[in-house]
Amino acid sequence: MIEFDHVTRRYGTKTAVDDLSLSIPRGELFALLGPNGAGKTTTIKMLVGLLRPSHGHVRVCGHDLVTEARGAHMHLGYVPDEPCLYDKLTAREFLRFIADMYGIPRHLAAKRIDREIECFELQEFADDLAENYSLGMKQRLVFAAAFIHDPDVIVLDEPMVGLDPRSVRIVKDLLKARTAEGMTVFMSTHTLAMAEEMADRMGIMVRGQLRFLGTVAELREQMAIEATSLEHLYLELTSSRATLREATLAGED
Amino acid sequence: MAADSFPTVATHPLSIEQESRLLLRLRATTAGHLIGTMLTQARLRFALVVTLSVIFWVALFGLFFEAFTFIDSMHAEVISLLFNAFFSSLMVMMVFSTGILMYGSLYTSEEAKLLLTCPLRPEAIHAHKFQEALWFSSWGFVLLGSPMLVSYGIVREAPWTFFAMLLPFMVSFVMIPAAIGSILCMLIVAGLPRLRVHAISISIVIVSLGLIWTVWSTLQSTQSETMTVAWFEETLSRLTMTEQTALPSWWLSSGLLDSALRGETAEQGWASTLEALKFLGLLIANALLLSLVAGWVARWCYRAGYSHLQAEIPRRRQRAIGWFDNLLARSGPRWGSPLRLLLVKDLQIFRRDATQWSQFMIFFGLLGLYFFNLRSFNYSHAYASIIGYLNLAVVGLILSTFTTRFVFPSISLEGRRFWILGLLPVSRDHIVWSKFLFAFGGGLLPCLGLVMLSDSMLNVPKNTTMIHLFCCGMLCSGLSGIAVGLGACMPDLRESSPAKIAAGFGGTLSLVLSALFIIAVVMTTALPSHLNLLRRSMGQMPSENFLGFVSSKFGIATSLGVVAVLGLVATFVPLAFGLRAFRRLEP
Repeated sequence: MIEFDHVTRRYGTKTAVDDLSLSIPRGELFALLGPNGAGKTTTIKMLVGLLRPSHGHVRVCGHDLVTEARGAHMHLGYVPDEPCLYDKLTAREFLRFIADMYGIPRHLAAKRIDREIECFELQEFADDLAENYSLGMKQRLVFAAAFIHDPDVIVLDEPMVGLDPRSVRIVKDLLKARTAEGMTVFMSTHTLAMAEEMADRMGIMVRGQLRFLGTVAELREQMAIEATSLEHLYLELTSSRATLREATLAGED
Repeated sequence: MAADSFPTVATHPLSIEQESRLLLRLRATTAGHLIGTMLTQARLRFALVVTLSVIFWVALFGLFFEAFTFIDSMHAEVISLLFNAFFSSLMVMMVFSTGILMYGSLYTSEEAKLLLTCPLRPEAIHAHKFQEALWFSSWGFVLLGSPMLVSYGIVREAPWTFFAMLLPFMVSFVMIPAAIGSILCMLIVAGLPRLRVHAISISIVIVSLGLIWTVWSTLQSTQSETMTVAWFEETLSRLTMTEQTALPSWWLSSGLLDSALRGETAEQGWASTLEALKFLGLLIANALLLSLVAGWVARWCYRAGYSHLQAEIPRRRQRAIGWFDNLLARSGPRWGSPLRLLLVKDLQIFRRDATQWSQFMIFFGLLGLYFFNLRSFNYSHAYASIIGYLNLAVVGLILSTFTTRFVFPSISLEGRRFWILGLLPVSRDHIVWSKFLFAFGGGLLPCLGLVMLSDSMLNVPKNTTMIHLFCCGMLCSGLSGIAVGLGACMPDLRESSPAKIAAGFGGTLSLVLSALFIIAVVMTTALPSHLNLLRRSMGQMPSENFLGFVSSKFGIATSLGVVAVLGLVATFVPLAFGLRAFRRLEP
């Protein structure tokens, strides 16, 4: 469903993403981890079509994000790290706009809007202007909008920021249910516990390179250290010591 | 969770017409809510905008009516030249203004980011943003152009078809420079990602130099010839360069002039209307063609340009004038250190906020250019005195727009960062005072410079210049006091956009009070000073009636005293309220 094919993105002389090759199948929840500046946001921007790769291809459901952006977007839902809404639209109007944009027939759109409003508990303020919403309310509305066309692939950039614990639970349950039904989730997060709890596979990026790809058990195996928590493994993998060890090994080769 | 359709995709891509209709519906809905909010929550602002617009329109209409009546009776042939000069200069300005607006809305706005992640065609997003830019860049033209053209039609006793065609003429004309600006913007961003800033800077410099040269060469003449028939004819002959038949401005002015012709017979009238319709058709055809081209350019390079821009790395900041900040922070007594540090912080933010200093430079630069050209005309002392005071008022009005737009919201924006400032060992009073000193110091130097330039070009007497400088100082102090004081009294801690804070009730009140203050200061000193000048130029002694007292030296001294009181009141009363409110503020 998602395919990164030897993708490189440079910012001037700096390489933000270096030869990333990654394939995520239908129904998988994939978590992308990495320290600040690792290239996660650049990867997400390329996946949603805001940024073009310097080399390589990004495809969603077989559609190239550069040459067939509209085709790819028909299958995509995107929740950015900072919610972007129209201040002068109500939640219901915003959802109607998004539903219309995906060409959902009117009778079905009305059902979907009610479904998402109920799912994300937006009833109380569904007819208020978005300018009066708190950050959490805005984030819930963005989630509702991303799910309204039942996308095949959903891209989440730091999805839990601003959400209260109840909303976090709603989102987690929803993601589990939808992936079970075949939806693919690509999530960037700093919350290791969430990645451990939710992700089928995870990728850890360091300085633009995918340093690890697999499950937590595989990570433990690869690191070959007596670590019990993902946090410990993650810190070990992303530390400068690990980078140094890798460079030394590369030198010996 | 109902899975009524999943995993079947119940969606289908929209046609370009459906996308356009959808975005139009979006605009209509947001505009409806905006107007609704204004009518319910910002009635004062709404009423003020409507009232001032009507007053402005009526005043312009009166002015143009008198001017056209005068010109029509003596030099009717000049009107074509004036129309061409006006519309061609407007065209150049609109290319730039729309280009800048399109850059902001296509490449840096949050809405563009949202729309680009949706299944919309780039040309549909462009068209949506283009309508917005077209509206913002052309409302001034409609506000300024409609009273001019309506008054022209009335003076020429134009047929009804002239008035019916006015709006189509204006809209189709405006679309041409707007589309050119938009195309240039997209091409520059996509084609010159690295050279973009340099390309824009070089273009602005070239156009500015061109404008300065045009104004200079048009107005520059020997002093002896000024305002004579020869000077007038020479100036007009220089304007003929705007009468190029390939320019849309020529099509517009020719079409308007033709449509205003009544003709001696019905046939002649219809022939003129038909001719005007041809020009209208030409304008519409070109406007539509350029809109199509803009759509093609958007399809071809909008997404690529957006991506280029996303990949830009911010340039490292040069600390070329860091020494000045250090000097400012360390000079003076120790007890004033917090105040100076706050001033340095504001200065650094101002220097790095291109919106603030670029607008400051453009407005004050244009004003300087205008003042610089004042010497081209010969004035009597009486005229020079009036123009000097009008210039003083203009300087004050420009400063008031800056204090309202940038200084008034500054306290609200500090309020949002209260978690930093509130925990520092800095008194809240220092924050308010630092804002006042920054606004006062920042406004005083350029304003005094402009007033001195104006008076020097007008050759006004030295004592009048001293009065102007004194008034200017009082204006800077009072306007800063009003903006900072009201900003502290009515902070909006939820809003992060300074433009939106300035557009609220507090900002509107600040602008109104500032305008009233400027009028009061200028009128109080202009009247005695001007009467005194008139009396002296006629060689009369002061009489004992009220006007005699007003025009005497005592009258002038009294007026200066009143201005000093006005200035102190405008400075310290709002500041006192502001300080009190800011001390009690609970963020």
